[in-house]
Amino acid sequence: MAARLFVRRRDGRIEVRLNDAARMIAREAFGHVLAAEADPEHEWHASLNAPIDPSHDVDDPLATLSRQHEVTSNVELAVATLNEEFLNDAEAWAWLCTLQVALRATITTKGIMTSERLHEIDDATRDYITTLQMFLFGLADVL
Amino acid sequence: MSSVKPLRVSDQVQTESVTATLTERPWNVVVWDDPVTPMSVVVVIFRKVFGYPNNKATQLMLTVHHEGRAIVWSGTLERAQTYCVKLQVAGLLSTIEQDS
Repeated sequence: MAARLFVRRRDGRIEVRLNDAARMIAREAFGHVLAAEADPEHEWHASLNAPIDPSHDVDDPLATLSRQHEVTSNVELAVATLNEEFLNDAEAWAWLCTLQVALRATITTKGIMTSERLHEIDDATRDYITTLQMFLFGLADVL
Repeated sequence: MSSVKPLRVSDQVQTESVTATLTERPWNVVVWDDPVTPMSVVVVIFRKVFGYPNNKATQLMLTVHHEGRAIVWSGTLERAQTYCVKLQVAGLLSTIEQDS
């Protein structure tokens, strides 16, 4: 049986059982999301700004601003707690959201929108996607 | 003096009826499938964002998975936008559309 990466303790806290290498991968993903939100030239930026209403040329600016604020809040909380041994629910939720944003941005920028395309990707991309999925499985299990 | 004829009562009623129909059509929040997001993650996001019970969240996740998309909420434009943003912040591919 595979080791669990996140464990809900009796006191309600969520124990993070990531080793240094795994935390490094999480740090990299969080860093990319943070950079992409601020930099329009970042390859993930478009993915973070997908249309809310595709029938209109421009989305409601308030909704767009709200999304930017919430993404930034989540990623900043995730970065601030990256080295913590335990997370509370809000922090674990911020991790899950930010990792899922990173996963979606990865497949969007690489054009992996079908199962067929997923089978054609290179090993490095597959390993990265699998690692993010393992983090997400673990977090979903305790939230 | 204006040469514009006032609307007849029947015209006014018809105009109001069309306006009401347009404004009352609900807005749908749609979630789209992708090949990598874990199913359990989608269920957790639906539970957290909408407060849905596990059964309903799982049913909606399966609809997304099998049909490629699912309407996960319907109602006013403002709330639809808010929910769509929350789903996008959580990393799901989500859009809004007015009910046809």
